[in-house]
Amino acid sequence: MRRLIRLAVLIGLAVWAWRAFMGRREPGERAGVSYADGSAIVLEPSSPGFERLASAARAALGS
Amino acid sequence: MDVAPALEQLLQDSSQVERAVVLGSDGKILGSTLPDQVAAETFAQHARELIAVAAELRSSDGDVTRVEVELAEGAVFVIHEGETTIAATTGPRPTPGLVTYDLRTCLNALADAKPKRRRATNKPKDEGKE
Repeated sequence: MRRLIRLAVLIGLAVWAWRAFMGRREPGERAGVSYADGSAIVLEPSSPGFERLASAARAALGS
Repeated sequence: MDVAPALEQLLQDSSQVERAVVLGSDGKILGSTLPDQVAAETFAQHARELIAVAAELRSSDGDVTRVEVELAEGAVFVIHEGETTIAATTGPRPTPGLVTYDLRTCLNALADAKPKRRRATNKPKDEGKE
């Protein structure tokens, strides 16, 4: 039982440490599009279409 | 409210919006916070491109009402309501809900200022005589 508790605490600490130290390094890039019919999509950097939106947005930010 | 005071109010109300441009239904610039016309036209062109790319992301037809792209170097928001579109940039890590609210408030101020159609009050004089 003690081993299980130790394991759970260790896993919890590992998850917290990962999110605290690695999560902050992510730039938090994302894109969202809403349509008139009420539908919406969210694009993460890995999803197709994100880079097209991102390049247009980068151009807008740099203009 | 005219476009220029509405944009001025937007910049006063929002601590996050850095630049903004308002486009009419034909895509022409109605007003902007950018210093010169060339910069405004360039920014407007990128906003139109964002809407075009967003429209292509879906196979079925449907007007794009909002595009929001958050990047490490900043974010771009484009909101389309009725016949007017507003595009704005912010710095990194904006609060998207607040920015969207501020941009919608600006668009609503512009929509309220548009002259509404007057209902015809002149009835035909012959009406009711027979």
